[in-house]
Amino acid sequence: MIDISNLIFRDLAIQKLRIPPGHTAVIGPNGSGKTTLLRLIAGLITPSAGAISIDGRHTGEIETGFVNEFPDRNILFYRVEDEISAPLRFRGISCRKTLEMADAIIREADLSYLATRISKQLSGGEKTLVALLTAVISSPRILILDEFDSHLDQESISISMDIIEHTGAEYVIQCTQNMDLAACCDQVLYLSEKGLQLTGTPEEVFSRLIQTCFYPGLWRIRDGT
Amino acid sequence: MELEFMDIQVERDCFLIQGSGIFTPGIHLVSGRVGSGKTTLAMIAAGLGMPDRGVVRRQGIGSVMLSMQFPEQHLTGSTLESEIASWRLDPDPVLALAGLSGRGKDDPFSLSRGELKRLHLACIFSRPFDLLILDEPFSALDCRGKMTTADQIGSIRAGITIIFTHENQHLPRVDYLWEIREGALVFLGSVPEALVGWKNKPAVLAELHKRGVYPKNLSTADILEAACRTHD
Repeated sequence: MIDISNLIFRDLAIQKLRIPPGHTAVIGPNGSGKTTLLRLIAGLITPSAGAISIDGRHTGEIETGFVNEFPDRNILFYRVEDEISAPLRFRGISCRKTLEMADAIIREADLSYLATRISKQLSGGEKTLVALLTAVISSPRILILDEFDSHLDQESISISMDIIEHTGAEYVIQCTQNMDLAACCDQVLYLSEKGLQLTGTPEEVFSRLIQTCFYPGLWRIRDGT
Repeated sequence: MELEFMDIQVERDCFLIQGSGIFTPGIHLVSGRVGSGKTTLAMIAAGLGMPDRGVVRRQGIGSVMLSMQFPEQHLTGSTLESEIASWRLDPDPVLALAGLSGRGKDDPFSLSRGELKRLHLACIFSRPFDLLILDEPFSALDCRGKMTTADQIGSIRAGITIIFTHENQHLPRVDYLWEIREGALVFLGSVPEALVGWKNKPAVLAELHKRGVYPKNLSTADILEAACRTHD
């Protein structure tokens, strides 16, 4: 369980929040603090006050994969296969094993055509897919995705969801503006400019948002609303 | 006024995009998968890139603007005010349009990515252009920002507007539809007739078509009206 208590960081304040294992969607308007919450959970920034613990441990003590919302900020290496291999190389895993694992994950994602490409020359969506593979190759316990799907078409999102499902990550926390996607998650957190407003299953959260544009489009067709 | 792609082709490594077509005044939507060449075509349309083969012909087009996919790539100012001033615009109305009133002295990188996109689009929509090219204008925006942007695009009454996007939830009313299919730019025709032949149509539109319901256009209002008809 991810436990957040009395958290304060700049404008974001959360008194109490528990995130169970599974796939959690973080939704809400631009500027409501979604990225800040994700970065706090990932341990990339430290709260001004309060605490975050993950299964009783501090953030940063647990292997975490993170995909930044700015595609260019994810890329470090010249070639795609070096980028995807990097987390394994940094851990000192043998070259043979690293190449095997990188090759396997690239093939599973059907992205072999990108392997030898120059990272900086990829499209925004391709960079995002590479960032996702880089984040999951070391099988992190926590996978944090910051609006990565905004750079992807429907089919690529579907492929990405398959990749995410097969990572075995205990916690997947995904910020998204795609409400049809959020509706398929195990739980949803809704933040507004006033802070954390709603938490619960998709049914629980979206039932309170039916009068807003945050209600999933496919559910509107289902409901005839 | 028109922009014409005359048998153009671009080839890079294993990537190929080719096509012909004429963009006349009105709003054009070009959809395509990740890596299909949308940005490449946008750059060529804007005159910032050249095809390897073929000709790009512009007739009667004076001012051209390309809105790039990533708003951070447009930044030149160190405050929101100076950024807006770099577009030769008065900061206050633009800040109001972007929903960022009172934040003129802030660093653009203190904004969330969605707020940055709103700022950039507010600058774009504050000036008229003969040819306006929007590369993924909806990415990073929340649903309210997407609907506002769609309304702003829909209210453009003059010139040629070309939207390159894979957005599938909130779109503007458009006049013409194009799709990039397996390396080729294909003109599908005028909307609404063209919606039927759209191969990678948004999930909501596909669901409506599956139920035999055909919206008049792509705006949220059109989709909601059609959604109501599914239960008639």
